[in-house]
Amino acid sequence: MRPVRMIIFIGVVVGIVLLALFAGPRMVNPFSLTTMDREILYSIRMPRVVVAMLMGMALGASGAILQGVLRNPLADPYILGISSGASLCAALGLLSGFYYFGSMSVPLTAFIGAALVSMLVGAFGWKRGGLWPERLLLAGIGLNFLFSAVLMLLMSVSSDEGLRRAVLWMFGDLSMADWSLIPTAAIFIVIGMGLVLSRSRALNAMILGDEFAHSLGFAVQRERLILFGAMALMTSASVSLGGTIGFIGLLMPHIVRFLLGADSRLLVPASAVAGGAFLCFADLVGRSLMPPMELPSGTVTAVFGAPYFLYLLRRKDVLSI
Amino acid sequence: MITADKKYEYYFTAEDAEEVRTNDSDGQGTSGLKTALIRFLSAFICVKIILLLIVCSPPALAAERITAPQRIISLSPATTEILFSLGLGDRVVGVTSFCDHPPEAKKKAKIGGMSNPSLEAIVGLKPDIVVMTTDGNPREVDDRLRGMSLKTYVWTARTLAELPRGIRELAGVMGVKENGEKLAREMEEGIEKFRSQKTGAGSQKKVVYIVWPEPLLVAGPGSAIHDAMALLGLENIAANASSSYPRYSIEELIRSSPDVLIIGKGAGMDIRTVAQGVLKKLATVPAVKNGKVCYVSDHLYRLAPRIIQGIEELAACVR
Repeated sequence: MRPVRMIIFIGVVVGIVLLALFAGPRMVNPFSLTTMDREILYSIRMPRVVVAMLMGMALGASGAILQGVLRNPLADPYILGISSGASLCAALGLLSGFYYFGSMSVPLTAFIGAALVSMLVGAFGWKRGGLWPERLLLAGIGLNFLFSAVLMLLMSVSSDEGLRRAVLWMFGDLSMADWSLIPTAAIFIVIGMGLVLSRSRALNAMILGDEFAHSLGFAVQRERLILFGAMALMTSASVSLGGTIGFIGLLMPHIVRFLLGADSRLLVPASAVAGGAFLCFADLVGRSLMPPMELPSGTVTAVFGAPYFLYLLRRKDVLSI
Repeated sequence: MITADKKYEYYFTAEDAEEVRTNDSDGQGTSGLKTALIRFLSAFICVKIILLLIVCSPPALAAERITAPQRIISLSPATTEILFSLGLGDRVVGVTSFCDHPPEAKKKAKIGGMSNPSLEAIVGLKPDIVVMTTDGNPREVDDRLRGMSLKTYVWTARTLAELPRGIRELAGVMGVKENGEKLAREMEEGIEKFRSQKTGAGSQKKVVYIVWPEPLLVAGPGSAIHDAMALLGLENIAANASSSYPRYSIEELIRSSPDVLIIGKGAGMDIRTVAQGVLKKLATVPAVKNGKVCYVSDHLYRLAPRIIQGIEELAACVR
């Protein structure tokens, strides 16, 4: 534990959330709110910040779990094909005229897609009564390529403008964040988070190797399955909230390990909070850079995340798990 | 403008036609009788041609008729609509997969999308001319087609004001000057009618045209919709955006408090269902509060003749 860094970390997170709420191309003064300000704050900015926090938390925590479970510093929830599967399922839903739930239809189909793909990856990764990291990773990469290709195929043969625009949504868009989806998604994310936190000691042991974890008394295959399930639940919920936002799952665990250490008991929640704050920040930048136009947060996270990631890479030994 | 002028190189002018005729009557025989016969025949033909010209049509038109392209491919939905409005529907042999208006256009052979048409499909249709647009077709396609010595015509008009000129120009190339003149004049009269109405309306209403609700895309400057709004004396709240269909900030939309909200027709899905979410967020905006939300057709999306009906719809929304 590093108390000073911890305090700075929490301070930065709180600062970003406040900025995301009140700053932007148009400032909102929290001490003298007009009716319009209150309206904008309540129905536009607050859901945006909450969705950004939830998504970022889900992705950050998922990244931390996956890097531990797969024992691979490259792992990211999207590398397993979950996002492309979700996009594909949403696109197929739109093509077949699935629009019974109004504006909830796309998030719903995306969630179903993400959950199905997670199960599929799990099924491919399953052998001799358990999940095997290499198998999971390879199955995920294979499925990811397959789904991306099919999605591209659909996009290029379809002349449906609606489909194209709905798929735009999949590239990480928080501008339409809305209270209606938040409770359901939050439940999934809280359940996932609870599962991980209760298993963080097992995660710590598993990073050191299956034999080691086994000798410490952990049922490795069972723990791995639970952690994988928690990751799938959180990632699916996050995809249905605002589409695909890259880089958070990969980047946040590395930053947190660099700043606060690699103990999973702290790493998972801290990656979650850092992910949430980072996405809030990306969203703030996305709507402030070229007003009145909005840039999708997914691209902002990559543009700001990648250079920092490369900087970390230059520091020796940081990018281990 | 330079590129537009350059496009004229390929189609025949009256001079070319003259040359063809002189070459024909230039046949030199060896024997006197033969020469006389040919002379007589050619004179006869000449007289007949002259007679035909006098009886049927002005000479320029006759020249055009010989050279007017018979097999046309259109690489954009807007030019497809214009070609059909010019009465050239029968001569259009290929269109893009986005060309859905008029309904007959859907029956034409498809050559692919706007940004990625299939060169092979285009060449396979043996077109006399390929109509392209600077608004959506990549320049490379033009270069490739001309590299294969196919004729292209590039449509350059991008604003409502340029539309009649564009129609005249295209009609000239296609050899249907009269139809072009008629259609262009209809457009001008339509535009003029709305312009004169505007002065009566007086107060400037703030409007926004939502092209797609999630993510929020609105019509910005450079789109035909923006021109139509300006024509009707309406203030487009997205006038300060930097592209024709920007992803607009919903916060900014609320702040500019539009008086009328116009929602365009979506392809594929029922736009009313898709728009529910955004309307809920805009509940406090004057337009939504006063029930001034107007669903319109897709007439304004393309710079084509039915844009006049689109302006009519727009005018009805704000009346």
